[in-house]
Amino acid sequence: MAQNIVAGVFCCIGTFFFLLGTTGLVRMPDVFTRLHPSTKCDTLGACSVIIGMAVYSGWSWDLLKLVLIACFVLLSSATCGHAIGRSALKRDIAYWRKDRKEVEDGHGA
Amino acid sequence: MSGGYAFSKKLLLCILLFAFWVALTATLALYDLVLGAICSAFVAVITVSLLGRALDPRITPMVLLRLPVFMVRLVWEIIKANYDVAKIILNPRLPIDPRIVEYRTYLAGDLPRTVFSDSITLTPGTVTVDLEEDLLKVHCLCPYHEEGLSGLEEMVAWLFGEKRHG
Repeated sequence: MAQNIVAGVFCCIGTFFFLLGTTGLVRMPDVFTRLHPSTKCDTLGACSVIIGMAVYSGWSWDLLKLVLIACFVLLSSATCGHAIGRSALKRDIAYWRKDRKEVEDGHGA
Repeated sequence: MSGGYAFSKKLLLCILLFAFWVALTATLALYDLVLGAICSAFVAVITVSLLGRALDPRITPMVLLRLPVFMVRLVWEIIKANYDVAKIILNPRLPIDPRIVEYRTYLAGDLPRTVFSDSITLTPGTVTVDLEEDLLKVHCLCPYHEEGLSGLEEMVAWLFGEKRHG
């Protein structure tokens, strides 16, 4: 019983962060800023859901699979976010600035 | 690289992948074993050239011992940054002031730099968009996110036992 409650709490935290990440994805103005909420989804969201499932499954063979999934999600999310950001930078996509003036040169800062 | 050496490397990789497959499928049925053998042989043939680069001499027992502590510290940083970015997203005024900052790291070698830039990307609020030699271009959601970079750099330097010089 206690196990189910703990698992449920972790899964709820995870889905809450997925909701936040998706909200951020909709609200952010450009490609670079959209990367930030998406990394949030992958790190805390997916990891809490995986922790919740690990608690639910207990000491079983599935635990190993869940840990491996967590590792791969973290590795691929970091690499993927970096790849998207790098390709946007290489294409000289102007990034959004607070004063509403888009910087023409993507390398300028 | 001689032909025999490449073949033994492929065989080693194939055995490792097959062991991984058996661990994941958790069955010893003939169908699964044959399928796993075919898949691991295929993957070993096409990825053997990446294996030489993955085995870095910097991965010492000390690094492996320090890795769990590093992971715990990184997760703590990620949780703090997540809380911070969550506040920004839920704020109706969306108080962001993004910019790309250039950061020159003192870490030497590809592996520490890769770990550093991956840690930056995993931490919400900062994404590494480019890495040339020792110059990182980091996109920050708010200017104060840049302040966390040196702390992360210290953590990676501690992991690989590097000292700041110059």
